[in-house]
Amino acid sequence: MSHKIMLVEDDEPILELMEILLTRIGYEPLIVPDVLEALTIVRTDPPALILLDVMMEPVDGWEFLEKLRTEYGMKELPVLLFTASPSVEERLATMNDKWLGVLEKPVSIPDLKAGLEKFLKK
Amino acid sequence: MGEKEYRISRYTYRETDIVHGIVIASLLISCTLITALSFSRSLTLLNYQLFFIPILYAAYFYARRGLVIAGISGVAYQAVGYYYCYPDPAALMGVTSQAFLFVIIASLMTYFIERIRAGEARYRSVFTHSQLGIVLFSLPDLWIKQTNDKFAEMLHYSADELCGMTFSSLAFTPRERKMFLERMENRDNCENFEIRLHTKEGDSCWVNLSWSAIDEQTVSVTVVNINARKILEDVKDDTMLKYRQLTENSPTSILVLREGAIRFANPAFSAFSGYSPEELEGKDLLFLLDSRDREKFLAFKKRLADETDITEGTDFRFVTKSGGLKVAAIFANPILHNNRQATMMNLVDISVQQRLEEKIQQDNERRRGIIITVAHELRTPLQPILGYLNLLIQDPEGFGILDDTKKMLERCLVSVERERQIINQMLELSVLDSGKIQLTFAEFSLPVLVRSMLDTCGYNSRAEVTIDIPDTLIITADRDRLYSVLDSLLSNAVNYSKPPRKIHVSYRPGPDGTTHTIAVRDNGIGIPQNLFASIFEPFQLADAAKLSRKYNRLGLSLSIAKKIIQMHGGDITVESTVNVGSTFTIHIPGKLPEENNHVA
Repeated sequence: MSHKIMLVEDDEPILELMEILLTRIGYEPLIVPDVLEALTIVRTDPPALILLDVMMEPVDGWEFLEKLRTEYGMKELPVLLFTASPSVEERLATMNDKWLGVLEKPVSIPDLKAGLEKFLKK
Repeated sequence: MGEKEYRISRYTYRETDIVHGIVIASLLISCTLITALSFSRSLTLLNYQLFFIPILYAAYFYARRGLVIAGISGVAYQAVGYYYCYPDPAALMGVTSQAFLFVIIASLMTYFIERIRAGEARYRSVFTHSQLGIVLFSLPDLWIKQTNDKFAEMLHYSADELCGMTFSSLAFTPRERKMFLERMENRDNCENFEIRLHTKEGDSCWVNLSWSAIDEQTVSVTVVNINARKILEDVKDDTMLKYRQLTENSPTSILVLREGAIRFANPAFSAFSGYSPEELEGKDLLFLLDSRDREKFLAFKKRLADETDITEGTDFRFVTKSGGLKVAAIFANPILHNNRQATMMNLVDISVQQRLEEKIQQDNERRRGIIITVAHELRTPLQPILGYLNLLIQDPEGFGILDDTKKMLERCLVSVERERQIINQMLELSVLDSGKIQLTFAEFSLPVLVRSMLDTCGYNSRAEVTIDIPDTLIITADRDRLYSVLDSLLSNAVNYSKPPRKIHVSYRPGPDGTTHTIAVRDNGIGIPQNLFASIFEPFQLADAAKLSRKYNRLGLSLSIAKKIIQMHGGDITVESTVNVGSTFTIHIPGKLPEENNHVA
């Protein structure tokens, strides 16, 4: 059975690409371009992992994560921050959240595969 | 006075006493004879009155003992009178009463003279025993009439010698004489007039004069010796003068503090603080400091008392007279100020420097912010390119791609990878530059590290690599970062040479045994000597044109390598000959730099 991966991402070219890539490497992608919509779906239809863009409007990745962890109590849902911003890791190091990781953009297919496998295994 | 003295039984007589005795005796005898003569001739004009001469004479000089003369006179007069007047009772009565009158007059005289003498003695005692110098001089010629020994001592003269001089002639300089005379003319009384007099030897002596006129012709002056005080003051002025001369043009602020109070401040400190030197003198430095730094200053002062001197500067914030805030680094050391322990402080105004540092820091932060944003913006569009290229290259048949097209796509992929690498290097360099990164030190085997790198990165297959590193060598460094440095050097060695590539990695301990020297030598295209420095600099625009053709692919790896080695407290150098080869040498200290002393 393939894992359902939710991708919260507002950049259209990436969004389309990721849908293809995730399908290709054997996952079931759930693409949500609207971050507010994603906040609703995550409760009704929780995925196995969330690939979360950081720079988004009107709610950014960090706020999304905060809501997920504290408001919804989904503390063990794996989240991979999917970002091109290099400053994420510093902040991540201070958070002490073992279900949280980073996948740096641009990611190659082998790196994407390895990153997801590593996180889903946990 | 060197007068001869004679002792007769319990009395001591001076020569003058004997003279007085003879005078009195002869006067007495003459009076008696004259009185007898006048009685015998019945001349009433001169009889008893004459006796007042010896009586008063004796009473004046000998007071109480003068009464004896009065007694003798009375007896003599009575004897003469009785002899001539007998038996006239009225005349006898008169003679007797005259005789009593002698004694009464002598007694009264004695009484008053003793009173006068007692007063005079008191005055004389004050005059001679006073701790102040006392001088009496006459007006208007200023001749010294009398001085006490104290005053004479001050000027090393004797009292007698001084009595032949005018007071004004004692002034040390003509100018001072003029000042004194002017002062004398202006008022009869004067207090605390400070002037220099000359001693017998011609030296100066500072005195404080107060005078008042006793009568029309006499002025009494009290003289206090203030020489010692004046000399001290002069010394003080002299010290101040020296400080001033030494520090006048110093660009750093210089202070002398004693017991916390400012004793001296140079013009630079006045300019720094906004206060004039007069305003600063005696002020406690603590109150010039910003209130936030006062505790720190007290601790600094305590430290100063415990240690000899503080050579490293300590920063303090000052509030200037106009209310501005300035920062100065204080250096302090003990000195002797007027023979007493004091502190000299050098203050270096670092307000401008600090503002600049803050600005540089802000600029760095901003630049880093820009780099992070730019990196984000550059990397995001790479995602679809990289992703689709991956997709196409992985499954060419599925997408109907021919071999030629696939090769083109692979070249695209290489370029995308290179661009990604440059962006990552740019980020890494900005992180290293920010100073926020600390190295993680560990002990590890250098030969093992190098061999694993050769295998993992495939350098062995692309070049003939020889290694000259002792098998047992263990070094302490940030393993991952040193790995990336060596990787950069090896990668350059391979990329900038043509087969048959020969790479030699060697290790030498430093001359003193405390440095590690690791060299990577290649037989590549080499680097012209004028570019040795530039290749380590990130984005050297001036040399960009020269660098671009052959060396552009160096990217930022050498800048990063140099930065990492510098963070280890070492350096990286290059030796190269064009078309022969290059040697990059890493020097790292065997001991860890202290600030990065985090051994993992």
